[in-house]
Amino acid sequence: MAAALSTPLGRTLARVALALIILAAWQYLPSANVRFWMSGPIEIVARLLVWLRDGSLWENVGATLFAMALGYAIGTATGIAIGLLLGLMPRLNRVLSPYIAALYAMPKIALAPLFVIVFGIGLESKVALVAITVFFLVLNATLDGVHNVDRDLTRALALMGATRLEVIRKVLIPATLPWIFTGMRIAVRYAFTNTLLAELIASNSGIGFMIEYYSGVFDATGTYAAILVLVIMSVGLTELLTLIETRLAHRGANR
Amino acid sequence: MPKGDMAGDMAGDMAGDMGGDLAPKIDLQGVGKRFVTREREVEALQPIDLAIQDHEFVALVGPSGCGKSTILNMIAGLLPPSAGVVSYDGAAIGGLNRAVGYMTQKDTLLPWRTAADNVRIALELKCRAMPWDEANERVAQMLTLVGLTGFEKHYPAELSGGMRKRVALARTLIYEPETLLMDEPFGALDAQLKLLMLDQLQDLTRQRRMTVVFVTHDLGEAITLADRVVVFSARPGRIRAIRPVALPRPRDVFRIRFTEDFAHLHESLWDELKDEVTRGTEV
Ligand SMILES: Nc1ncnc2c1ncn2[C@@H]1O[C@H](COP(=O)(O)OP(=O)(O)OP(=O)(O)O)[C@@H](O)[C@H]1O
Ligand SMILES: [Mg+2]
Repeated sequence: MAAALSTPLGRTLARVALALIILAAWQYLPSANVRFWMSGPIEIVARLLVWLRDGSLWENVGATLFAMALGYAIGTATGIAIGLLLGLMPRLNRVLSPYIAALYAMPKIALAPLFVIVFGIGLESKVALVAITVFFLVLNATLDGVHNVDRDLTRALALMGATRLEVIRKVLIPATLPWIFTGMRIAVRYAFTNTLLAELIASNSGIGFMIEYYSGVFDATGTYAAILVLVIMSVGLTELLTLIETRLAHRGANR
Repeated sequence: MPKGDMAGDMAGDMAGDMGGDLAPKIDLQGVGKRFVTREREVEALQPIDLAIQDHEFVALVGPSGCGKSTILNMIAGLLPPSAGVVSYDGAAIGGLNRAVGYMTQKDTLLPWRTAADNVRIALELKCRAMPWDEANERVAQMLTLVGLTGFEKHYPAELSGGMRKRVALARTLIYEPETLLMDEPFGALDAQLKLLMLDQLQDLTRQRRMTVVFVTHDLGEAITLADRVVVFSARPGRIRAIRPVALPRPRDVFRIRFTEDFAHLHESLWDELKDEVTRGTEV
Protein backbone atom coordinates (compact mmCIF):
# COMPACT_ATOMS: atom_id res chain seq x y z
CA MET A 1 0.00 0.00 0.00
CA ALA A 2 2.67 2.48 1.05
CA ALA A 3 4.82 1.38 -1.88
CA ALA A 4 1.97 1.96 -4.32
CA LEU A 5 1.62 5.58 -3.06
CA SER A 6 5.22 6.41 -3.95
CA THR A 7 4.69 6.05 -7.72
CA PRO A 8 3.02 8.86 -9.68
CA LEU A 9 0.27 6.55 -10.90
CA GLY A 10 -0.35 5.26 -7.39
CA ARG A 11 -0.62 8.81 -6.10
CA THR A 12 -3.08 9.79 -8.78
CA LEU A 13 -5.22 6.74 -8.11
CA ALA A 14 -5.17 7.48 -4.40
CA ARG A 15 -6.27 11.05 -5.03
CA VAL A 16 -9.14 9.98 -7.26
CA ALA A 17 -10.21 7.37 -4.72
CA LEU A 18 -10.15 9.94 -1.92
CA ALA A 19 -12.28 12.33 -3.99
CA LEU A 20 -14.76 9.59 -4.76
CA ILE A 21 -15.05 8.60 -1.11
CA ILE A 22 -15.64 12.18 0.01
CA LEU A 23 -18.15 12.83 -2.79
CA ALA A 24 -20.00 9.59 -2.04
CA ALA A 25 -20.11 10.38 1.68
CA TRP A 26 -21.35 13.91 0.90
CA GLN A 27 -23.98 12.51 -1.45
CA TYR A 28 -25.34 9.63 0.64
CA LEU A 29 -24.64 10.21 4.34
CA PRO A 30 -26.45 13.47 5.26
CA SER A 31 -29.96 13.24 6.62
CA ALA A 32 -32.78 15.25 4.98
CA ASN A 33 -32.51 18.34 7.18
CA VAL A 34 -28.71 18.47 7.00
CA ARG A 35 -29.11 18.18 3.21
CA PHE A 36 -30.81 21.59 3.26
CA TRP A 37 -27.55 23.43 3.98
CA MET A 38 -25.08 20.86 2.66
CA SER A 39 -26.66 20.14 -0.71
CA GLY A 40 -24.96 17.30 -2.63
CA PRO A 41 -22.47 16.75 -5.47
CA ILE A 42 -25.05 15.59 -7.98
CA GLU A 43 -27.32 18.57 -7.33
CA ILE A 44 -24.35 20.96 -7.60
CA VAL A 45 -23.20 19.53 -10.93
CA ALA A 46 -26.78 19.63 -12.21
CA ARG A 47 -26.99 23.31 -11.20
CA LEU A 48 -23.73 24.05 -13.01
CA LEU A 49 -25.16 22.43 -16.15
CA VAL A 50 -28.25 24.61 -15.88
CA TRP A 51 -26.08 27.71 -15.58
CA LEU A 52 -24.00 26.60 -18.51
CA ARG A 53 -27.10 26.14 -20.65
CA ASP A 54 -28.81 29.40 -19.71
CA GLY A 55 -25.55 31.35 -20.06
CA SER A 56 -25.57 32.79 -16.55
CA LEU A 57 -22.27 31.05 -15.72
CA TRP A 58 -20.27 32.77 -18.46
CA GLU A 59 -22.05 36.02 -17.86
CA ASN A 60 -21.01 36.13 -14.22
CA VAL A 61 -17.51 34.72 -14.71
CA GLY A 62 -17.12 37.32 -17.44
CA ALA A 63 -18.41 40.10 -15.19
CA THR A 64 -15.90 39.21 -12.46
CA LEU A 65 -12.97 38.90 -14.85
CA PHE A 66 -13.91 42.08 -16.68
CA ALA A 67 -14.15 44.15 -13.49
CA MET A 68 -10.88 42.68 -12.28
CA ALA A 69 -9.06 43.29 -15.55
CA LEU A 70 -10.37 46.83 -15.94
CA GLY A 71 -9.51 47.78 -12.36
CA TYR A 72 -6.12 46.13 -12.69
CA ALA A 73 -5.35 47.96 -15.93
CA ILE A 74 -6.40 51.34 -14.55
CA GLY A 75 -4.53 50.79 -11.27
CA THR A 76 -1.37 49.60 -12.99
CA ALA A 77 -1.27 52.37 -15.57
CA THR A 78 -1.85 55.16 -13.06
CA GLY A 79 0.43 53.54 -10.48
CA ILE A 80 3.36 53.37 -12.90
CA ALA A 81 2.75 56.85 -14.31
CA ILE A 82 2.42 58.58 -10.95
CA GLY A 83 5.21 56.47 -9.47
CA LEU A 84 7.62 57.56 -12.20
CA LEU A 85 6.44 61.15 -11.93
CA LEU A 86 6.90 61.32 -8.16
CA GLY A 87 10.19 59.48 -8.51
CA LEU A 88 11.35 62.29 -10.76
CA MET A 89 10.09 65.00 -8.43
CA PRO A 90 11.73 64.11 -5.13
CA ARG A 91 10.59 67.29 -3.38
CA LEU A 92 6.93 66.71 -4.17
CA ASN A 93 7.39 63.06 -3.26
CA ARG A 94 8.78 63.98 0.16
CA VAL A 95 5.77 66.21 0.81
CA LEU A 96 3.31 63.51 -0.19
CA SER A 97 5.04 60.45 1.23
CA PRO A 98 3.31 60.34 4.66
CA TYR A 99 -0.08 60.49 2.95
CA ILE A 100 0.88 57.79 0.48
CA ALA A 101 2.20 55.62 3.31
CA ALA A 102 -1.04 56.06 5.27
CA LEU A 103 -3.24 55.25 2.28
CA TYR A 104 -1.02 52.32 1.34
CA ALA A 105 -1.31 50.84 4.83
CA MET A 106 -5.08 51.23 4.99
CA PRO A 107 -7.09 48.12 4.03
CA LYS A 108 -8.84 49.36 0.88
CA ILE A 109 -11.81 47.10 1.46
CA ALA A 110 -12.99 49.66 4.02
CA LEU A 111 -13.62 51.99 1.08
CA ALA A 112 -16.01 49.57 -0.61
CA PRO A 113 -19.21 50.96 1.01
CA LEU A 114 -18.08 54.47 0.10
CA PHE A 115 -17.60 53.48 -3.54
CA VAL A 116 -21.11 52.01 -3.57
CA ILE A 117 -22.46 55.39 -2.43
CA VAL A 118 -20.40 57.29 -4.99
CA PHE A 119 -20.62 54.97 -8.00
CA GLY A 120 -23.75 52.98 -7.23
CA ILE A 121 -24.06 49.20 -7.32
CA GLY A 122 -22.44 47.84 -10.45
CA LEU A 123 -19.26 47.69 -12.46
CA GLU A 124 -17.94 51.11 -11.47
CA SER A 125 -17.77 50.50 -7.72
CA LYS A 126 -16.00 47.16 -8.22
CA VAL A 127 -13.50 48.66 -10.64
CA ALA A 128 -12.85 51.55 -8.27
CA LEU A 129 -11.99 49.24 -5.39
CA VAL A 130 -9.71 47.05 -7.50
CA ALA A 131 -8.07 50.03 -9.19
CA ILE A 132 -7.23 51.81 -5.95
CA THR A 133 -5.79 48.63 -4.39
CA VAL A 134 -3.66 47.89 -7.43
CA PHE A 135 -2.72 51.56 -7.76
CA PHE A 136 -1.06 51.75 -4.34
CA LEU A 137 0.75 48.45 -4.75
CA VAL A 138 2.17 49.39 -8.12
CA LEU A 139 2.86 52.99 -7.05
CA ASN A 140 4.96 51.81 -4.12
CA ALA A 141 6.82 49.25 -6.19
CA THR A 142 7.58 51.89 -8.83
CA LEU A 143 8.78 54.41 -6.24
CA ASP A 144 11.00 51.76 -4.64
CA GLY A 145 12.39 51.00 -8.08
CA VAL A 146 13.11 54.62 -8.94
CA HIS A 147 14.81 55.15 -5.58
CA ASN A 148 17.01 52.15 -6.12
CA VAL A 149 18.27 53.23 -9.52
CA ASP A 150 22.03 53.62 -9.34
CA ARG A 151 22.64 57.40 -9.57
CA ASP A 152 26.03 56.71 -11.12
CA LEU A 153 24.25 55.24 -14.14
CA THR A 154 21.97 58.23 -14.66
CA ARG A 155 24.85 60.66 -14.17
CA ALA A 156 27.03 58.76 -16.62
CA LEU A 157 24.38 59.09 -19.29
CA ALA A 158 23.73 62.75 -18.54
CA LEU A 159 27.45 63.39 -18.87
CA MET A 160 27.37 61.85 -22.36
CA GLY A 161 24.91 64.56 -23.30
CA ALA A 162 21.62 62.72 -22.77
CA THR A 163 18.58 64.93 -22.26
CA ARG A 164 16.42 64.41 -19.20
CA LEU A 165 13.95 62.47 -21.30
CA GLU A 166 16.69 60.23 -22.68
CA VAL A 167 17.96 59.51 -19.17
CA ILE A 168 14.44 58.52 -18.20
CA ARG A 169 13.94 56.33 -21.27
CA LYS A 170 17.31 54.65 -21.35
CA VAL A 171 18.16 54.27 -17.68
CA LEU A 172 15.36 55.08 -15.28
CA ILE A 173 12.60 53.02 -16.87
CA PRO A 174 14.63 49.91 -17.72
CA ALA A 175 16.17 49.92 -14.24
CA THR A 176 12.75 50.29 -12.62
CA LEU A 177 10.99 47.65 -14.75
CA PRO A 178 11.86 44.62 -12.59
CA TRP A 179 10.42 46.42 -9.55
CA ILE A 180 7.28 47.35 -11.47
CA PHE A 181 6.84 43.75 -12.63
CA THR A 182 7.16 42.48 -9.08
CA GLY A 183 4.50 44.94 -7.96
CA MET A 184 2.24 43.97 -10.85
CA ARG A 185 2.61 40.28 -10.08
CA ILE A 186 1.66 40.72 -6.44
CA ALA A 187 -1.22 42.99 -7.46
CA VAL A 188 -2.92 40.28 -9.55
CA ARG A 189 -3.91 38.29 -6.49
CA TYR A 190 -5.06 41.40 -4.65
CA ALA A 191 -7.13 42.40 -7.69
CA PHE A 192 -8.86 39.03 -7.74
CA THR A 193 -9.60 39.00 -4.00
CA ASN A 194 -10.85 42.55 -3.99
CA THR A 195 -13.11 42.02 -7.00
CA LEU A 196 -14.74 39.20 -5.09
CA LEU A 197 -15.00 41.19 -1.89
CA ALA A 198 -16.62 44.07 -3.75
CA GLU A 199 -19.11 41.64 -5.28
CA LEU A 200 -19.86 40.06 -1.92
CA ILE A 201 -20.49 43.42 -0.31
CA ALA A 202 -22.75 44.96 -2.93
CA SER A 203 -23.14 44.23 -6.61
CA ASN A 204 -25.45 42.85 -9.25
CA SER A 205 -23.22 40.50 -11.21
CA GLY A 206 -20.14 38.31 -10.91
CA ILE A 207 -19.20 35.15 -9.06
CA GLY A 208 -19.06 36.96 -5.73
CA PHE A 209 -22.55 38.24 -6.38
CA MET A 210 -23.79 34.68 -7.13
CA ILE A 211 -22.36 33.38 -3.86
CA GLU A 212 -23.89 36.24 -1.96
CA TYR A 213 -27.24 35.97 -3.77
CA TYR A 214 -27.78 32.21 -3.42
CA SER A 215 -26.73 32.12 0.20
CA GLY A 216 -29.07 35.06 0.78
CA VAL A 217 -32.02 33.02 -0.48
CA PHE A 218 -30.84 29.92 1.44
CA ASP A 219 -30.08 28.04 -1.79
CA ALA A 220 -27.17 25.85 -0.67
CA THR A 221 -26.83 24.16 -4.04
CA GLY A 222 -26.43 27.49 -5.84
CA THR A 223 -23.96 28.73 -3.23
CA TYR A 224 -21.74 25.64 -3.48
CA ALA A 225 -21.89 25.66 -7.26
CA ALA A 226 -20.74 29.27 -7.33
CA ILE A 227 -17.96 28.54 -4.83
CA LEU A 228 -16.83 25.64 -7.02
CA VAL A 229 -16.60 28.01 -9.98
CA LEU A 230 -14.56 30.37 -7.80
CA VAL A 231 -12.15 27.58 -6.82
CA ILE A 232 -11.65 26.69 -10.47
CA MET A 233 -10.99 30.34 -11.33
CA SER A 234 -8.44 30.76 -8.51
CA VAL A 235 -6.60 27.61 -9.51
CA GLY A 236 -6.60 28.78 -13.12
CA LEU A 237 -5.26 32.18 -12.14
CA THR A 238 -2.53 30.71 -9.95
CA GLU A 239 -1.48 28.32 -12.71
CA LEU A 240 -1.37 31.18 -15.21
CA LEU A 241 0.77 33.32 -12.90
CA THR A 242 3.15 30.45 -12.18
CA LEU A 243 3.49 29.84 -15.91
CA ILE A 244 4.33 33.50 -16.58
CA GLU A 245 6.74 33.62 -13.65
CA THR A 246 8.68 30.55 -14.70
CA ARG A 247 8.86 31.92 -18.25
CA LEU A 248 10.23 35.23 -16.97
CA ALA A 249 12.60 33.56 -14.51
CA HIS A 250 13.85 31.37 -17.33
CA ARG A 251 14.51 34.39 -19.53
CA GLY A 252 16.20 36.18 -16.65
CA ALA A 253 18.47 33.21 -16.00
CA ASN A 254 19.47 33.10 -19.64
CA ARG A 255 20.71 36.67 -19.62
CA MET B 1 56.19 72.04 -20.27
CA PRO B 2 57.47 69.29 -22.51
CA LYS B 3 56.67 71.15 -25.70
CA GLY B 4 60.28 71.76 -26.65
CA ASP B 5 61.12 68.10 -26.41
CA MET B 6 58.30 66.75 -28.46
CA ALA B 7 59.23 64.92 -31.59
CA GLY B 8 57.14 63.15 -34.20
CA ASP B 9 54.73 64.60 -36.74
CA MET B 10 52.36 65.93 -34.10
CA ALA B 11 54.96 67.95 -32.26
CA GLY B 12 55.00 70.93 -34.62
CA ASP B 13 51.39 72.01 -34.36
CA MET B 14 51.04 70.90 -30.77
CA ALA B 15 53.86 73.15 -29.76
CA GLY B 16 52.12 75.87 -31.74
CA ASP B 17 48.92 75.36 -29.80
CA MET B 18 50.56 75.27 -26.46
CA GLY B 19 53.02 78.02 -27.19
CA GLY B 20 52.42 81.49 -25.89
CA ASP B 21 50.31 81.75 -22.79
CA LEU B 22 47.03 80.42 -24.04
CA ALA B 23 44.37 79.90 -21.42
CA PRO B 24 44.53 76.33 -20.11
CA LYS B 25 41.82 73.84 -21.07
CA ILE B 26 41.27 72.83 -17.47
CA ASP B 27 42.26 75.12 -14.64
CA LEU B 28 42.12 74.28 -10.95
CA GLN B 29 42.77 77.35 -8.82
CA GLY B 30 42.99 76.85 -5.08
CA VAL B 31 40.71 73.86 -5.42
CA GLY B 32 40.14 71.92 -2.21
CA LYS B 33 37.52 69.42 -1.14
CA ARG B 34 36.27 68.36 2.24
CA PHE B 35 33.50 65.86 2.73
CA VAL B 36 31.19 66.37 5.64
CA THR B 37 29.45 63.20 6.70
CA ARG B 38 27.21 62.78 9.69
CA GLU B 39 29.90 61.90 12.23
CA ARG B 40 33.00 63.53 10.84
CA GLU B 41 34.65 65.70 8.30
CA VAL B 42 37.21 64.34 5.83
CA GLU B 43 39.62 66.67 4.13
CA ALA B 44 40.13 64.83 0.87
CA LEU B 45 42.08 67.48 -0.97
CA GLN B 46 44.00 70.49 0.29
CA PRO B 47 43.78 73.52 -1.97
CA ILE B 48 45.81 72.85 -5.13
CA ASP B 49 46.62 74.72 -8.33
CA LEU B 50 46.85 72.75 -11.53
CA ALA B 51 46.50 73.93 -15.12
CA ILE B 52 46.07 71.44 -17.94
CA GLN B 53 46.65 72.64 -21.48
CA ASP B 54 44.62 71.84 -24.55
CA HIS B 55 45.66 68.48 -26.07
CA GLU B 56 47.79 67.70 -23.07
CA PHE B 57 47.98 64.23 -21.51
CA VAL B 58 48.34 64.50 -17.74
CA ALA B 59 48.69 61.53 -15.42
CA LEU B 60 47.76 61.76 -11.74
CA VAL B 61 49.44 59.34 -9.36
CA GLY B 62 49.28 59.12 -5.61
CA PRO B 63 48.41 56.86 -2.71
CA SER B 64 44.93 55.51 -2.29
CA GLY B 65 42.50 58.01 -0.84
CA CYS B 66 44.50 61.11 -1.76
CA GLY B 67 41.66 62.61 -3.80
CA LYS B 68 42.43 61.62 -7.39
CA SER B 69 38.92 60.47 -8.19
CA THR B 70 37.62 63.53 -6.38
CA ILE B 71 39.57 65.76 -8.77
CA LEU B 72 38.10 63.99 -11.81
CA ASN B 73 34.61 64.26 -10.32
CA MET B 74 35.09 68.00 -9.92
CA ILE B 75 36.35 68.42 -13.49
CA ALA B 76 33.30 66.49 -14.70
CA GLY B 77 31.10 68.81 -12.68
CA LEU B 78 29.69 65.93 -10.64
CA LEU B 79 31.03 67.41 -7.41
CA PRO B 80 31.43 71.06 -6.46
CA PRO B 81 34.78 72.05 -4.89
CA SER B 82 34.56 73.27 -1.31
CA ALA B 83 37.26 75.83 -2.00
CA GLY B 84 38.57 77.47 -5.15
CA VAL B 85 37.38 77.35 -8.73
CA VAL B 86 37.55 74.66 -11.39
CA SER B 87 37.35 76.19 -14.85
CA TYR B 88 36.98 74.57 -18.21
CA ASP B 89 37.73 76.56 -21.37
CA GLY B 90 38.07 79.63 -19.18
CA ALA B 91 34.64 79.39 -17.55
CA ALA B 92 33.94 78.15 -14.04
CA ILE B 93 32.21 74.76 -14.06
CA GLY B 94 28.72 74.81 -12.58
CA GLY B 95 26.73 71.65 -13.13
CA LEU B 96 27.62 68.78 -15.44
CA ASN B 97 30.54 69.32 -17.78
CA ARG B 98 29.34 67.58 -20.93
CA ALA B 99 32.51 68.38 -22.83
CA VAL B 100 34.29 65.57 -21.04
CA GLY B 101 34.03 61.84 -21.45
CA TYR B 102 34.49 60.20 -18.07
CA MET B 103 35.51 56.63 -17.54
CA THR B 104 34.90 56.23 -13.82
CA GLN B 105 36.77 53.98 -11.42
CA LYS B 106 33.70 51.82 -10.96
CA ASP B 107 32.22 51.00 -14.34
CA THR B 108 28.75 52.31 -15.04
CA LEU B 109 27.68 49.80 -17.69
CA LEU B 110 23.95 49.24 -17.95
CA PRO B 111 23.37 45.66 -16.78
CA TRP B 112 20.38 45.09 -19.07
CA ARG B 113 22.33 45.99 -22.21
CA THR B 114 24.78 43.73 -24.02
CA ALA B 115 28.39 44.82 -24.48
CA ALA B 116 27.66 46.12 -27.98
CA ASP B 117 24.51 47.95 -26.85
CA ASN B 118 26.43 49.52 -23.98
CA VAL B 119 29.15 50.75 -26.31
CA ARG B 120 26.58 52.18 -28.70
CA ILE B 121 24.60 54.14 -26.16
CA ALA B 122 26.29 57.50 -26.67
CA LEU B 123 25.57 57.27 -30.40
CA GLU B 124 21.85 56.73 -29.73
CA LEU B 125 21.49 60.13 -28.11
CA LYS B 126 19.84 62.98 -29.97
CA CYS B 127 22.91 65.18 -29.57
CA ARG B 128 24.89 62.95 -31.89
CA ALA B 129 22.22 60.96 -33.70
CA MET B 130 23.49 58.89 -36.61
CA PRO B 131 22.14 56.17 -38.89
CA TRP B 132 21.82 52.80 -37.19
CA ASP B 133 24.20 51.06 -39.63
CA GLU B 134 26.90 53.64 -39.15
CA ALA B 135 26.59 53.42 -35.38
CA ASN B 136 26.81 49.62 -35.47
CA GLU B 137 29.86 49.77 -37.68
CA ARG B 138 31.61 52.06 -35.24
CA VAL B 139 30.60 49.82 -32.34
CA ALA B 140 32.17 46.84 -34.10
CA GLN B 141 35.36 48.84 -34.76
CA MET B 142 35.52 49.95 -31.17
CA LEU B 143 35.02 46.43 -29.82
CA THR B 144 37.82 45.21 -32.08
CA LEU B 145 40.02 48.00 -30.84
CA VAL B 146 39.60 46.90 -27.23
CA GLY B 147 39.90 43.23 -28.18
CA LEU B 148 36.35 42.16 -27.45
CA THR B 149 35.12 40.80 -30.78
CA GLY B 150 33.02 37.76 -30.09
CA PHE B 151 31.63 39.23 -26.87
CA GLU B 152 29.17 41.66 -28.48
CA LYS B 153 26.13 39.82 -27.19
CA HIS B 154 27.39 39.25 -23.64
CA TYR B 155 25.82 41.08 -20.75
CA PRO B 156 28.11 42.89 -18.28
CA ALA B 157 27.41 40.22 -15.65
CA GLU B 158 28.87 37.64 -18.04
CA LEU B 159 32.14 39.51 -18.53
CA SER B 160 35.30 39.51 -16.41
CA GLY B 161 36.39 42.64 -14.56
CA GLY B 162 38.99 43.48 -17.19
CA MET B 163 36.50 42.94 -20.01
CA ARG B 164 34.00 45.25 -18.36
CA LYS B 165 36.69 47.90 -18.08
CA ARG B 166 37.36 47.57 -21.78
CA VAL B 167 33.67 47.84 -22.64
CA ALA B 168 33.55 51.00 -20.52
CA LEU B 169 36.63 52.30 -22.33
CA ALA B 170 35.08 51.61 -25.73
CA ARG B 171 31.86 53.29 -24.63
CA THR B 172 33.75 56.45 -23.68
CA LEU B 173 36.08 56.54 -26.67
CA ILE B 174 33.42 55.88 -29.29
CA TYR B 175 31.99 59.38 -29.18
CA GLU B 176 35.39 61.03 -29.14
CA PRO B 177 34.90 63.63 -26.43
CA GLU B 178 37.38 66.49 -26.64
CA THR B 179 38.52 65.78 -23.09
CA LEU B 180 38.93 62.36 -21.57
CA LEU B 181 38.90 61.69 -17.84
CA MET B 182 40.05 58.18 -16.99
CA ASP B 183 40.19 56.66 -13.53
CA GLU B 184 42.45 53.61 -13.42
CA PRO B 185 41.13 52.29 -16.71
CA PHE B 186 43.59 49.40 -16.95
CA GLY B 187 43.82 48.33 -13.33
CA ALA B 188 42.28 44.91 -13.91
CA LEU B 189 44.25 43.95 -17.02
CA ASP B 190 47.23 41.62 -17.34
CA ALA B 191 50.57 43.15 -18.35
CA GLN B 192 50.43 42.19 -22.05
CA LEU B 193 46.87 43.32 -22.58
CA LYS B 194 47.61 46.51 -20.72
CA LEU B 195 50.39 47.36 -23.16
CA LEU B 196 48.11 46.71 -26.12
CA MET B 197 45.49 49.00 -24.60
CA LEU B 198 48.07 51.71 -23.86
CA ASP B 199 49.16 51.56 -27.48
CA GLN B 200 45.60 51.95 -28.76
CA LEU B 201 44.88 54.72 -26.31
CA GLN B 202 47.99 56.65 -27.33
CA ASP B 203 47.09 56.36 -31.02
CA LEU B 204 43.52 57.40 -30.52
CA THR B 205 44.08 60.30 -28.15
CA ARG B 206 46.93 61.70 -30.26
CA GLN B 207 45.00 61.27 -33.53
CA ARG B 208 41.93 63.01 -32.14
CA ARG B 209 44.11 65.44 -30.21
CA MET B 210 42.20 64.88 -27.00
CA THR B 211 43.00 66.44 -23.67
CA VAL B 212 43.41 63.60 -21.19
CA VAL B 213 43.49 63.42 -17.41
CA PHE B 214 44.52 59.92 -16.47
CA VAL B 215 44.54 58.51 -12.93
CA THR B 216 46.71 55.47 -12.31
CA HIS B 217 48.63 53.59 -9.64
CA ASP B 218 51.10 52.36 -12.22
CA LEU B 219 54.04 54.74 -12.68
CA GLY B 220 55.13 52.93 -15.83
CA GLU B 221 51.74 53.50 -17.39
CA ALA B 222 51.88 57.17 -16.44
CA ILE B 223 55.33 57.72 -17.94
CA THR B 224 54.50 55.78 -21.10
CA LEU B 225 51.47 57.90 -21.93
CA ALA B 226 51.70 61.27 -20.25
CA ASP B 227 53.15 64.65 -21.11
CA ARG B 228 53.26 65.42 -17.39
CA VAL B 229 52.97 63.28 -14.30
CA VAL B 230 51.50 64.82 -11.16
CA VAL B 231 52.40 63.09 -7.90
CA PHE B 232 50.06 63.59 -4.97
CA SER B 233 50.81 63.27 -1.28
CA ALA B 234 48.84 61.00 1.01
CA ARG B 235 45.51 62.28 2.32
CA PRO B 236 44.76 65.10 2.55
CA GLY B 237 45.99 65.30 -1.03
CA ARG B 238 48.47 67.94 -2.07
CA ILE B 239 50.62 68.15 -5.18
CA ARG B 240 53.99 66.81 -4.19
CA ALA B 241 55.72 67.01 -7.56
CA ILE B 242 55.00 67.62 -11.22
CA ARG B 243 57.37 66.00 -13.73
CA PRO B 244 57.32 66.60 -17.45
CA VAL B 245 57.89 63.45 -19.49
CA ALA B 246 60.42 64.43 -22.09
CA LEU B 247 60.19 61.25 -24.13
CA PRO B 248 59.67 61.72 -27.86
CA ARG B 249 56.33 60.87 -29.45
CA PRO B 250 54.95 58.70 -30.82
CA ARG B 251 56.20 56.38 -28.13
CA ASP B 252 56.72 52.68 -28.56
CA VAL B 253 54.76 51.50 -25.56
CA PHE B 254 56.27 48.02 -25.80
CA ARG B 255 59.92 49.11 -25.67
CA ILE B 256 60.00 52.49 -24.01
CA ARG B 257 60.17 50.81 -20.61
CA PHE B 258 63.65 49.59 -21.40
CA THR B 259 65.14 53.00 -22.22
CA GLU B 260 67.38 54.86 -19.86
CA ASP B 261 65.29 58.03 -19.77
CA PHE B 262 62.32 56.00 -18.75
CA ALA B 263 64.25 54.31 -15.95
CA HIS B 264 65.51 57.65 -14.62
CA LEU B 265 62.10 59.21 -14.60
CA HIS B 266 60.60 56.14 -13.03
CA GLU B 267 63.15 56.24 -10.25
CA SER B 268 62.73 59.92 -9.52
CA LEU B 269 58.94 59.60 -9.48
CA TRP B 270 59.14 56.56 -7.26
CA ASP B 271 61.31 58.53 -4.83
CA GLU B 272 58.55 61.09 -4.54
CA LEU B 273 55.81 58.52 -4.30
CA LYS B 274 57.24 55.92 -1.94
CA ASP B 275 57.22 58.10 1.21
CA GLU B 276 53.64 59.03 0.49
CA VAL B 277 52.56 55.48 -0.09
CA THR B 278 54.07 54.35 3.19
CA ARG B 279 52.61 57.39 4.93
CA GLY B 280 49.25 56.59 3.43
CA THR B 281 49.22 53.09 4.84
CA GLU B 282 50.17 54.24 8.33
CA VAL B 283 47.11 56.43 8.68
N1 LIG C 1 31.20 60.99 -1.24
C1 LIG C 1 32.13 61.00 -0.26
N2 LIG C 1 31.77 61.22 1.02
C2 LIG C 1 32.70 61.23 2.00
N3 LIG C 1 33.99 61.06 1.80
C3 LIG C 1 34.42 60.82 0.56
C4 LIG C 1 33.51 60.78 -0.55
N4 LIG C 1 34.21 60.54 -1.67
C5 LIG C 1 35.49 60.43 -1.28
N5 LIG C 1 35.63 60.61 0.04
C6 LIG C 1 36.88 60.58 0.79
O1 LIG C 1 37.78 61.44 0.14
C7 LIG C 1 39.07 60.87 0.06
C8 LIG C 1 39.56 60.85 -1.35
O2 LIG C 1 38.76 59.97 -2.12
P1 LIG C 1 39.07 59.63 -3.63
O3 LIG C 1 38.05 58.67 -4.08
O4 LIG C 1 39.20 60.88 -4.40
O5 LIG C 1 40.49 58.92 -3.52
P2 LIG C 1 41.40 58.32 -4.67
O6 LIG C 1 42.66 59.09 -4.69
O7 LIG C 1 40.65 58.22 -5.93
O8 LIG C 1 41.71 56.87 -4.09
P3 LIG C 1 41.87 55.48 -4.88
O9 LIG C 1 43.21 55.51 -5.50
O10 LIG C 1 41.77 54.46 -3.81
O11 LIG C 1 40.77 55.41 -5.88
C9 LIG C 1 38.97 59.49 0.70
O12 LIG C 1 39.51 59.57 2.00
C10 LIG C 1 37.50 59.21 0.79
O13 LIG C 1 37.22 58.55 1.98
MG1 LIG D 1 39.88 56.75 -6.99
